Amino acid sequence: MARSKNYQDPKLEEKLKDRKYYATDSNPDFLKEVEKIGQTIAHMCYQCGTCTGSCPSAPRSSYRIRLFMRKAVLGLEEEALTDPDLWLCTTCYSCTDRCPRDIAPTDVIMAMRNLAAKRDIVPRNFLQTVQLIYKSGHGVPNNDVNRAARVKLGLEAEPETTHKYPEYIPGIQKIIDHYELKAKADRLVAQGE
Amino acid sequence: MSGNNMRQYAFFLGCIAPNRYPGIEAAAIKTSKKVGIELLPLKGASCCPAPGAFGSIDLNIWYAMAARNVVLAEQMNMDIALICNGCYKSIYEVNHKLKHNDELRDGVNEVLKEIDMEFKGTVDVWHLAELYYDPEIVGIKKLADSVTRPLTGAKIAVHYGCHLMKPKKERHFGNTENPMWIEELVAALGAEPVQYRNKMQCCGAGGGVRGYDLAHALDITNEKMINLQEVGADALTEVCPFCQLQYDRGQIEIQEKFGSTYGLPVLHYNELLGLAQGMNPDELALDLHAVDVEPFLKKIL
Ligand code: SF4
Ligand code: SF4
Repeated sequence: MARSKNYQDPKLEEKLKDRKYYATDSNPDFLKEVEKIGQTIAHMCYQCGTCTGSCPSAPRSSYRIRLFMRKAVLGLEEEALTDPDLWLCTTCYSCTDRCPRDIAPTDVIMAMRNLAAKRDIVPRNFLQTVQLIYKSGHGVPNNDVNRAARVKLGLEAEPETTHKYPEYIPGIQKIIDHYELKAKADRLVAQGE
Repeated sequence: MSGNNMRQYAFFLGCIAPNRYPGIEAAAIKTSKKVGIELLPLKGASCCPAPGAFGSIDLNIWYAMAARNVVLAEQMNMDIALICNGCYKSIYEVNHKLKHNDELRDGVNEVLKEIDMEFKGTVDVWHLAELYYDPEIVGIKKLADSVTRPLTGAKIAVHYGCHLMKPKKERHFGNTENPMWIEELVAALGAEPVQYRNKMQCCGAGGGVRGYDLAHALDITNEKMINLQEVGADALTEVCPFCQLQYDRGQIEIQEKFGSTYGLPVLHYNELLGLAQGMNPDELALDLHAVDVEPFLKKIL
């Protein structure tokens, strides 16, 4: 079948699009990268579906972990990394504890997310957590209501963390800056606005 | 060990306990003291960092940031104790990985060198709940002996959460299909632990899903709420402040979004232990909970 049919109606072109798998769509390095980052033997997957059957996200969405496993094996990098379902894994590890091939599908997802992030595909809430930690050391920082409650409990208003010892924050910023992640978070969050 | 026979640990707080449910922090310190554990401040610790958010973007940064927290405890020459499954995932797992993988450790140490730190791999990381269960450290008997106000007549369901026990081959808790050890911890307080369908299902919040698609996360929580309601639990207990947030604030969000009301009080195990050891509700800041804890308190006080 022709990959492009040049139908005059673009809607029909899309509807009737050739969905066959072509070797040229595959990036064999994708599987290798996923296995290296995720430290798991993704190529051993025999598509039994135990993972999807264990997945709390599957019954309420189009997210299918088994499908991502297949895309890893087939090297379908583009499809996997641009799919918004990639971000619906709660990382509960139920699939990992049950996979009969001893694969960690959860860590395949984590690896794919790392690769997506390299292409600047990261949901906003993830980036905002980075910004918060860069600023205060905490992803969920203290606030006034909580400070008052702490004092009533006989605790200090600020916990014994970077909140009470802000002199530790520059060290954290150095680590994040080493990977240039703060700049990236700022840039991507600003782009989204 | 100090002279008074207390076991000492560096207390890793995380974010949600100290900054949203400070009663958990206060209770952890006080209740542990009564069973021979002294929790000492881990000065300058940060977010663990959030395994979902940081790990998803770049696992290497997650390793380095978690390692910094571990190194603070190494400098105190003390094992870490913590009270949150999410923190356990970061701190326990990164500590374990770096101890056993030279390539990862060298990579992390290269970054830590910039801030004059080095991961040495000299301490261990524990969840406080596992220390309570361990007969060598505390054990059920000592825990039960510390109870002055048994929670008699209260039916309590347990949410284990995900990142303490799973993935099981990288942990040491054994069976993850139907564990019962936290139920034993609950029974030690005089309460009746109750079983419910699909107990080991996730709360829905993890992996960044709560922030990415709140309705999706809450729909998972709601499934758990339905199963909990079926067995008539008086309260739900857990060992993870993030799960607590998802169940506690989540019930309000479920009400707003889906129109379902449950009113099920949600208490961290340390809050329960505090009540059982005679702490008053105002020593636990239970008024900060989104779901009113009063009906449960009426049952036990
Ligand atoms: S459970 Fe394991 S082998 Fe089965 S489909 Fe999922 S990843 Fe593949
Ligand atoms: S870890 Fe992710 S993919 Fe696996 S069962 Fe849980 S939500 Fe589904």
